[in-house]
Amino acid sequence: MVVGIKDAAKLTGISVIMGCAVLICTMFLNYYFDMNLIEDQLASEQEIIMYHAQEATVRVICLVAGGCLLATSVVMLFFYIKHYIDTHKKELGILKAIGYGSWKIAIHFWVFGVSVFLGAAAGFGGAFLLMPWFYALQNKDHFLPEVLLRFHPEVFALLVILPTAAFSALAVCYACIKLKRPVMLLLKENFQVLERKSRKAEGMVRGEKRERTQKTEASFVENLKRSTLRSKKTLVFFIVFASFCFSAMTQMSFSMKDLSSEMMGAMMLLIGLTLACVTLLLAITTVIRGNTRTIAMMQVFGYSQKECSQALLGGYRPVSYIGFALGTIYQYGLLRVMVDVVFRDVEGVPVYEFDVPVMLVSLVTFAIFYEAVMYYYTEKIKGISMKEIMLEG
Amino acid sequence: MIRAEGITKYYGAGKNRFPVLKEISLSVEEGDFTVILGASGSGKSTLLNVLSGLERPEGGRICYGETDITAFSDRELTEFRKENVGFIFQQYYLLPNMNVDQNVKMGADLAGNRNYGDIIDAVGLGEKKRQYPSELSGGEQQRVSVARALAKRPRFLFLDEPTGALDEETGRQVLDYIVRLQKEYGFTIVMVTHNLNIAEMAKTVIRMNSGRISDIHTNEIRKTAYEIGW
Ligand SMILES: Nc1ncnc2c1ncn2[C@@H]1O[C@H](COP(=O)(O)OP(=O)(O)OP(=O)(O)O)[C@@H](O)[C@H]1O
Ligand SMILES: [Mg+2]
Repeated sequence: MVVGIKDAAKLTGISVIMGCAVLICTMFLNYYFDMNLIEDQLASEQEIIMYHAQEATVRVICLVAGGCLLATSVVMLFFYIKHYIDTHKKELGILKAIGYGSWKIAIHFWVFGVSVFLGAAAGFGGAFLLMPWFYALQNKDHFLPEVLLRFHPEVFALLVILPTAAFSALAVCYACIKLKRPVMLLLKENFQVLERKSRKAEGMVRGEKRERTQKTEASFVENLKRSTLRSKKTLVFFIVFASFCFSAMTQMSFSMKDLSSEMMGAMMLLIGLTLACVTLLLAITTVIRGNTRTIAMMQVFGYSQKECSQALLGGYRPVSYIGFALGTIYQYGLLRVMVDVVFRDVEGVPVYEFDVPVMLVSLVTFAIFYEAVMYYYTEKIKGISMKEIMLEG
Repeated sequence: MIRAEGITKYYGAGKNRFPVLKEISLSVEEGDFTVILGASGSGKSTLLNVLSGLERPEGGRICYGETDITAFSDRELTEFRKENVGFIFQQYYLLPNMNVDQNVKMGADLAGNRNYGDIIDAVGLGEKKRQYPSELSGGEQQRVSVARALAKRPRFLFLDEPTGALDEETGRQVLDYIVRLQKEYGFTIVMVTHNLNIAEMAKTVIRMNSGRISDIHTNEIRKTAYEIGW
């Protein structure tokens, strides 16, 4: 077996994100389908306006939440597979060397779909637990005739079966593409570097001189910081995503409290924090895992824990604040659109203004959260010893 | 001078706990070339790691001159390694994402050494500064790790089977570089090997047998890397 269920089970990140996406989408989509059933019962002008407003909200939320989270899951899946191949390239290379084809190996990667299924199923189940509450809340002022909760098989197919199948297929295809390279590149210690270099060699010459002087002037720690950032660009994306979620969701949850309901606000806060935590921890763990040798060697040579963590993790700090800024802009834009466009015709929607204090509170909380995580990992670095590295050979 | 007194070291826990080093005492003169010989599993690497401050012994003391490093905290120990010790391992452990120059810089920066280019030239890699470890042969990689260790100008150089993964010709070359650089910089060498011939290059030879020192002797005549058998 090339990839075991155990490897797939490690993809908690994908499961959690899938779970959140499916939870939100199931609630709204199911509501949408149930709402459609009462369309011909609508009588008054008021009811029709309310109906269309809710329909529009449902669409926006499904698209925004579902779309964003789905895109992230895809990136995360690719990242995991690439990471898996990178860390197992010796075994995979040997399989190829003795005559297994790329497809034959890649087909085993369907297992990665299991984690998608687990997350999606959990999200779906969770949605059905929350929905009675959610339905009551959506219609708490009784502007609409009562919407009854039903189970729609098409929602299950669309949000659980389809993603599982699609992700399994995607995993296999992507793995196959990644494995379609000369065997020697897999067997050799560091094929990414070789690849990158040969790609660079083609269009080099011009930029080379500047790079040379620049590289020699920077200190080792600076060099390492840069090369860590450069070597895994996907991780940069995840860190941006984590802080983006944190910033957008916390701030939005406060506005939601006023615009919609406390429950929506709390849900948003919970989902935002979960996503931010999971993604951030995942990204940082990957950085540390991928660099255990470097860390061990640095400690052997006498670099302090602080210098090690500064070199490997320090580069991500500015990136995370950029993510925070993006999240702030995003949530403002989204709420503006919701209030000005979607709810334009609905009466009684409160005025929406950008909330500076909430932003500041969110920023400070984020800074504390981020630094605490960094501190935790700096302490964790201590546990990495040369002995482990030597024993693994 | 490095002085070890009654060093004991255990591995494993509970019922599986067993001694790897049993009451080891020895001393190494400054500027010496000492070799630790012994069968596989006799505890050579463990002794080297303990002597150099990479691992802590359960009992005994290790003194560098008057300084007892076994009393150090982790932070002090790191600081101590930074200022005094260089390492070379059998598996090189170069940083794969960094080229030769940057790898050597890892050592050089610790000592504020700006002329580390000389050391790269001295190990014969002046032409390959921009190459990555994956583009070098085993011997070349080991020479990078020699340069990296020496660029931090250590007073003590610890080597764990530096030629273990190299063929005869390349092994001799690496050893020759090390000995020549020792003449130039005057650091102390403690080297683990199980190649009996290499021991003829050293001044002091310490033999180990299942966690104990079985013999220490001094070579009257020392051979060069090209005179020994292999
Ligand atoms: N971290 C560890 N945990 C448990 N046992 C260990 C550990 N490290 C080493 N040992 C055991 O301690 C003993 C001595 O190991 P050491 O690596 O010092 O031997 P060595 O003399 O260097 O052997 P070789 O020549 O094969 O490198 C061995 O029996 C080994 O199995
Ligand atoms: Mg050993």
